[in-house]
Parts: sequence; structure tokens; C-alpha cells
Amino acid sequence: MKAILSIVRKEFLQLRRDPRLFPVLFISPIIQLLLLGYAANLDVRDIPAVVCDLDRSAASRDFLDGFVNSGYFTVRARVGRMADIDRFLDNGQAAMALVVPRGFGDQLAAGRPASAMVVADGSESQSATIGVNYATMIAGRYAQRVMLEKLARVAGAGAKPVQVGAEVRVWYNPELRSRNFMIPGVLGLILMIMTMSVASMGIVREKEAGTMEQLIVTPVRPYELIIGKLLPFVLIGLFEAAFVLAVAKYWFVVPVRGSLLLLFGMCLAFMLNTLGFGLFISTISRTQQQAMFTTVFFIMPMMLLGGFVFPIENMPPFFQAVSHVVPTRYFFIAIRGIMLRGAGWPELWDQAASLLLLGAVVFALSILRFRKKLD
Amino acid sequence: MSVLSLCCLRPVIRKEFRQIRRDARSLMFMTFLPAFMLLLFGYALNFDVKHIPLAVVDQDGSRASRDLVDRFRTTEYFDLKAVLPRTAAIDPVMAREDIRAALVIPPTFSDDLLAGRGPAVQVIVDGSNAMSGTTAAGYAGAILQSYSGRVTLDALGRRGLTGLVVPLDTDVRVWYNPELRSARFLIPGLMAFILMVIVTVSTAFSVVREKERGTMDQIRLSSIRPLELILGKVVPYAAISLGSAHLVLLLGQVLFGVGIRGSYPLLLAAIVLFLTGALGQGILISAVTRTQQVAFLIAILTTMLPTFILSGFVFPIRNMPAVIQAVTYLVPARYFLAALRAIILKGVGLWAVWPQFLFLAGFAALSVGAAAVLLRRSETERPRRRRGRR
Amino acid sequence: MPEYAIEVKDLTKRFGDFTAVDAVSFEVERGRIFGFLGANGAGKSTTIRMLCGLLDPTSGMASVGGFDIRRQPEKVKRAIGYMSQRFSLYEDLTVAENIRFFGGAYGLTGKALDARLPWVLRMAGLAGRERSLTRTLSAGWKQRLALGCAVLHEPKIVFLDEPTGGVDPASRRRFWELINGLSEGGVTVFVTTHYMDEAEYCNDIRLIHAGRIVAGGSPQELKTAVIRNPILEVSSDRVVDAMEVLQKEPWVLETSIFGTSLHVSVADESEGRRLIRERLARAGIAVLRLDRIRPSLEDVFIHKIEEQDGAAGAGEGRP
Repeated sequence: MKAILSIVRKEFLQLRRDPRLFPVLFISPIIQLLLLGYAANLDVRDIPAVVCDLDRSAASRDFLDGFVNSGYFTVRARVGRMADIDRFLDNGQAAMALVVPRGFGDQLAAGRPASAMVVADGSESQSATIGVNYATMIAGRYAQRVMLEKLARVAGAGAKPVQVGAEVRVWYNPELRSRNFMIPGVLGLILMIMTMSVASMGIVREKEAGTMEQLIVTPVRPYELIIGKLLPFVLIGLFEAAFVLAVAKYWFVVPVRGSLLLLFGMCLAFMLNTLGFGLFISTISRTQQQAMFTTVFFIMPMMLLGGFVFPIENMPPFFQAVSHVVPTRYFFIAIRGIMLRGAGWPELWDQAASLLLLGAVVFALSILRFRKKLD
Repeated sequence: MSVLSLCCLRPVIRKEFRQIRRDARSLMFMTFLPAFMLLLFGYALNFDVKHIPLAVVDQDGSRASRDLVDRFRTTEYFDLKAVLPRTAAIDPVMAREDIRAALVIPPTFSDDLLAGRGPAVQVIVDGSNAMSGTTAAGYAGAILQSYSGRVTLDALGRRGLTGLVVPLDTDVRVWYNPELRSARFLIPGLMAFILMVIVTVSTAFSVVREKERGTMDQIRLSSIRPLELILGKVVPYAAISLGSAHLVLLLGQVLFGVGIRGSYPLLLAAIVLFLTGALGQGILISAVTRTQQVAFLIAILTTMLPTFILSGFVFPIRNMPAVIQAVTYLVPARYFLAALRAIILKGVGLWAVWPQFLFLAGFAALSVGAAAVLLRRSETERPRRRRGRR
Repeated sequence: MPEYAIEVKDLTKRFGDFTAVDAVSFEVERGRIFGFLGANGAGKSTTIRMLCGLLDPTSGMASVGGFDIRRQPEKVKRAIGYMSQRFSLYEDLTVAENIRFFGGAYGLTGKALDARLPWVLRMAGLAGRERSLTRTLSAGWKQRLALGCAVLHEPKIVFLDEPTGGVDPASRRRFWELINGLSEGGVTVFVTTHYMDEAEYCNDIRLIHAGRIVAGGSPQELKTAVIRNPILEVSSDRVVDAMEVLQKEPWVLETSIFGTSLHVSVADESEGRRLIRERLARAGIAVLRLDRIRPSLEDVFIHKIEEQDGAAGAGEGRP
């Protein structure tokens, strides 16, 4: 116990003495959150589009109005020739083009299928996918409307078209602010990057500096050493989490509907994992440079496979399986649940359990690897 | 041109290469990590929003409602995860993210249909993921609409009116990216992201390592000039990352069919400029920090999240607030990414990407220049260490 | 109570196919200053690390303070103090913080630690400098601090690996006064060094070369027993040329340069004197002085090494 306290005290003393580390640890997460909270935004609205109406009939105008007024698109230009579209798409001024060919209105009037063309700049396939989806939906709506109007005329009374309506209810985030989804994720990322980095470098630093030799010749036991070195980062991590949470809540007005206690508990369980992975990395690295590369190697999948931006259910089964050992997966679900949906222990106990189990395994592996020997 | 004697450059390069070679793991990482990540994420990541987990509360239980539920079950846009008994059961399941959308079919559903009234189905979406929420609502709407069309046609068919077709056919043709597969989109982005992070971080270590180990003093005492030192350290890492970048391109071509549409020399020029800037940034970081730990943190923080989020890799810059858009001008990966996409996917020439090139060149010059200045300044300072009495 | 503080039997350490320590055996009596003498890379540090429980031996056994280093390494660590070759205290902590930290690591509680702290400071000559950052100390002070931290918990056995490396002679002498003080207090001191003159301060020495012990005994024993042939010291301003001339002579057993003089080992003193003057005069090299000297440990060492190397490379003879 004494040994642990000695080590904790030493770590804090050293932290204080490094003039750059302190500000990096505390100020940069805030800056990151500020920047990214504003930038991380997956809403796709106001897609710039070019409109080319080659038909110029009432029907084509009607059709195009449906797009223009949808709010999903912003018309950057209306051109009269197909060839003019290239210019806008090539230099990125427009991401999509809507082309109504000549004869559109006539076809419709004659009861024959008509066609329109949606051209999307696929090099930005995110916007393109969504843009095409929107366009297809809008075109489909228009088609239904036309058909139903026709049917109404043809069928006369008594054969009213049946329309199943959708009443859309948006839960938890009625204004559909993309930020509310992103920011808990950014919070988790910042926490992960900071704690894992310092944990992985911490032990290797002493190896490189030679002080590890002096430390392992003392009676200090491996678990005492590990706990002593990591405890300061648990405390620092919690502080950082609190800071970041405060910025999220008061600056970005992201709701925090659930229990704060549960939230910090989840942060702790998450840090058990990040610190554990960091520790593991430092037991398999001889130099700080190696630790650094290995940390980057671990951070990337955790960032990308945890369900932050890319939904897990859209991944191939192999990666879905892998995501089960990625702690960010559970943490993101937990933190979003607590903050945005007011989820509590009954809903999230299994996320907590997964985090704790995973963390325990990683820690156990690290402690087993850590031997008080020089080779 | 400041005096640059090659005699001093070569030993620095050689030493750096030797140190790199000795650390096999780091060398492996630098060379293969980008390609490995590309493999990993090219297969794993895409922007499709499909398989949205869905729950259904069927309060009607008629053939018509089951028919509707089937449509949701068979579409690939939704994954029917649960059939819940009552609406109250939805919240706990949605709070856990087991489902992200729910369909509530009212008890009067089939009756309304038969009577020719338009029943309303509740579509509940988890708004916390705004994008998938919007998309889910859109998909649901589209499915319901197509269902309505079917029902109407059936009803009319029963009255003897057949042969009606949907009058409009949208021909969706996508330029540049016919399959709209996200892999194509991701590859330039991943390349930029991975290279930026790895290159900057590894060079950030280069000088700090010397500082921490105390070999910096010896270097100062020799006749190596700061510019030579930087160049000497940069060259090996530049060479390795160039190789790595080509490996990524190769894999992109072989595995994902992302070929280079445009001119290869132009692409090479863009890569070289970008790498130079990233390397310069790495050295700049290492010049102002004293310990490897802090260098690593700063390098990671100035590359990883900003590049991921602010370069246009995942989140379109267009959608960001004006202030943040201004900030993205400071993110070199932004220009690199734009140039990459234009050259690889669109095949345009210098006329279309010269602004990007200008920025990339500026970034390279700025970061290398700043690094040189700072290194020289830190070298002319006398070492402050031995202040104690002897 | 074990008779010997340290017992080593056939201790071997191999790194791959390189044998760093080759079947080394010796005993160290309690309360003695035991010196391990050898050039860099001879295997001294490796041996010490094995004895401290920092490295696992490839084969052989050793017991330190009665505890087996393989099976009870933690008990060994509790019973010993260790000072490594490279300075391994925390440079970014103050003197007092370092002492307190290692005290805590050894389980010294508040009151006991408070009592020891001034003692260590006094011993290291750092009284009044508790608040100085360790980084700002010069090499000599650092070494004394490291020694102080090594004996904080009053161990009965202390291992010092090249404790005076890079330290000026005055500090070295002061350091050895500390070591003597420890020894007088009953502490067994195991020290490694490549400074031959320091070896004179030890009670018992082992010479180690290429992982093997090539000679052992007290300094006195070594000097008288090992070297039977007289050694003549030749001072000249052209020492290197003189060496080249004399090396070739068949009656010269060994030559080695010591600064500005040459040590020549011959079979017979008077004959040797005559022949040396004659040969050097013939070569036009002036002889400033010619004395018989008592062999120093360095002479012993070189003799032994050349003997070892000669035996190893038999056939490529040297005179």
C-alpha cells in the first residue's frame, strides 16, 4: 500500500514538472471538443445541385419543384444544356445534377413511363448516396402522386386511392441535431486517445531512462507498480471527462438526461480498458517509439470499429465480430444512452459488464507479462 | 540558398536509416501499417445506412398488417429485431440501441384499409443518430408509399381495372463512381488520414529521441547545420512513407479497383508535397517539446482527430459552420484529400487542382521553414543542465 | 546465519550464442569489500544483475544473503541495495523526493523515513540541497545520492556497479571513504570497477575477462603471487618506438605502455637492465629513467589477460 502511494506521488510530481504535459492533458481536449463538436456533422442538407430542364413543361417544373422545395437540395445553377453540367460537377460546385429530358410532360400525359436523370458526384459518395436516396424518394413521391391523381380521374368516385400515412415521431432528439450524436462520441475518443497514449508511454519511458532498473530491484510488487503508475491517469481521465462533459452540456447544450454517477462509472469502466491496453502495449515495447506505433495501431480500429460514425451493423460479419472486443463499442452505446436517452442501469448493465470483463482480461494479460526482470 | 554541404547530410541520413533498421517493429509499422489499415477499413467501413434494427408493435394482427410487416422484414434497409407486445416496451429497447426505429401499426389498420380510409402508421425513429434517423424515416415512408401503391392497385384490380403502371421511372446514373461503393470514396481519405498520422508522429519522435537520450549535445557540437539535420532526418522517413503510399495505391487498385484516373506524375507531386509538409510538422513538434511522451501526444492530437474530422474524409466540409470551415483551411489533409479525389477518381489535370497544390506547397514550406528556425534557435541556447556545483 | 554473504557456483549467462558470463564461481565473506575487476564488456554488470535478481541465469546457482537468486528473487531484493552503472534515479525529482520515493518503495514508514532522510543527506554531502532538482547535480553528487538511496533501508549487502564512472578523482576518493564506512559497519560491499587503482581498496578481488574469472585473491596476494618476473619501468620520450624495439627481443617477456613510461617484464633484472639500455641506445632512443617497480594490479591484470588470450589463441605466439 505504501509502495502504491509512493509511486502515485512520484507520478504526480513528475507530471507537474513537465511544463508541456499539463496543458496538453487538460487544455487540448477542450479545444478538440470545441472544434470537433462543430465540425462533426453528418446531416446532409442543402446539397448543391445543378438543374437542367430540357422539357420546360408544366409537368417538369412541377417535378423539379418537388426537389427544390424539399430542403435537401440547394440549386446552384439552372442550365439549358446537358454539356454544361460537367463544369459544375468537375470543380465541385455542385454535387448533383437533376436532368429532366425533353418529352417528359408528354410522356406523362400519354400515360407512358417517363424518366428523369439524377447525376451524382460519386467521389463524395457519402453525399452522393444520401442525395441519390433523397432524389429517389422524391421522384417516387411524385410518381405516386401522379398515379393517384390519374387513378382518381380514371376510377371516378368509389375507388379512392388508399394512402397509408406515416406519422413520424422522433425520439430523444426531436430537433435532430447531429451534434447530439457526435459529441458523446468525440468525448469518448478524446478520453481514449489521452489515457491510452500516456499509459503506453509511461512504463516504457522508465525502461528507456533506466529508472525501471532501480525500481524493479526494490521489493515493489508488479501489481503495486502498475496500480501506482496508472492511478494518476485514472484521476486525470476523470477530470478530463468532467471538463469535457461540462463543455458539452453548457456550451453545446447536449442533454445529459441520465445519471451522472452512472456516466462516470462508465467512464471508469472504459478507462479500465484504455489504460489496460496502454499498459499491455508498454509491456510489449522496448522503446517509446515502438510503444507509439503500437498505440496508433490499436487506436485506429477502436476509433473506426466502435460504431462512432460507421454503423457496426453495416460491417461484414468478421468486423462485427471483432467489434465485440473493441471497448469503444460498448462505451459509445452507454454514453449515448445515458446522455441522450436517459438510459439507466437496467438498460446498460450489460454494456458495463462487457467493459469490465474486457478490461479485466486485458489487465490480467498485462500483469502476467510484466515481470520484474530486465530481459 | 543556405550552405548545404552534402558531406554532413549523408552521415545523418545513414545514421537515421541504421537506427530505423535496427528497430524492426517500427520499420514494419511505418511501411505496412497504412496498407494494413486500408485493407481493414476498405472492407469494414461504408456509409450505407442499411440493416437498421427495427421493432414492430402490431396492434392489428390482421393479414394486411402482417403483409406490411413482411415488407419491412424483407427489405435490406431494415433488420427486424423484435416484435414487441406494446408501445411501452419500445423505450427500454431503443435506449439500449438494440433498435433504432419502431413501427406501430394501429388496431384499426385493416379496417381502415378496407373502408378506403388512409390508416396512419407510427414510425418512431431514434433521433439521437440524426442521420440514420432521417434516413430511417425516409425509408419507412418509401416502403409505406410503395405498399400503398400496391394496395391501391390491388383494390382497383379487384374492380377490374388492370394494366396500370407507375408512370415515372427515375434513371439514376452516377458519374465517376458507378457503383457508388463507399470503398472508392474512402480510399483517398484513408490514405490521407493514415499517412498524415503515421508520418507526422514518427518524425515527431526523431529529434525528441535525441534530446531525451542526450545525444543532442553531441550533434550540436558537430558541424551539422540545422537545415542539414532536418533534411537528414526527413529523407529516410520520406523514403519509407513514399514506399508506403505506393503500397496503399497498389492495394487500392488490386483489391478495390480504385485505379488512378488522372496523371501519375501529378499524383506523385501531390504526395511528395503532402509528405514533406507532414514531415515538417512532425519535426516542428519535436523541436518544441522535450520529452517523447509529450511529442507523441501533441502529434496525435494535431493529426488524428483533426484529420479525421476536419479534412473532409468523413464529414463534408460543406456542412460545417463558417468558422470551422475557415479552420479546415489549416488542415493540410484537406487539400491533399481534395487533390487525391480529383486526380484518382475524377482524372482531372493541374488546371482543376492548382489551388490545392498551392496550399500544399505553402504548408510544406511553412512547416519546414518553421522547424528550421526553431531548431536553430534551440541550438544557439547554451545547454542549461549543469547548474550545480562540481 | 550463512557463513558467506554471497555464494556463486558455475553461474552462466548466455544471450543467444554469446556467452557473457561463463561458469563463474566465488564466495564473498560477510563485511568485506569484494571487487570485481575487468574491462568493459567483460561480464561484470551481467554478473551483478544476476545476483540482484534482475536477470535470470542460464545455468548455475547463487545465493545472496542466504536466498537463492532463482527461487527467491524477491527476498534477495529486500535484503540488498543496488546502484546501477547508469544513473537511474529520477532526474525530474528533487533530491528529497527521490529519497522519499525509494524509502517508500522499500517500505520505510513516515517516522523511520524521517529519521533516515537526514542521514542520507549527510552521507551524500547533500545537506541543504534537498530541494535541488536531481538533474542539476554534477556526476559526483548524483553518485552519492544513488548510493544513499541504495542503503536507505539498511541492507546487509550492497551491490555497486561501476559506482565511480565518469567522476573526478577527488569525488572518487570521497566515495570510497563512504564505502569503507559501510564496510566498517558490517555491510558486505560487492563492487565492480575497471579502475585498477580502486581495486587496491578492496579486501578481495576477482579479475574477470571475457566472462571468465582469470585470477582472484587479495590485492597483495595477486601482486606477489601472479607476477614472479621483475618488471622494469623505462621512461622515455619515445615510448612507442621503444616498445616496438623491445617487443621483438626474445628475452622480453611482456611490454606494456603506462602513460609516458614502458613496463618491461624480464626474466633477470640485471641482465634486463643491461640489454634494455643497449638495445635502446642502438636504436637511438634516449632512456630517461630505468627502475625496477613493484607490479601494480594493472600489470597483474594485463599479464593475466594476455595469458588467457595467449592460451585461447595458441599457436599465434607472441614472445
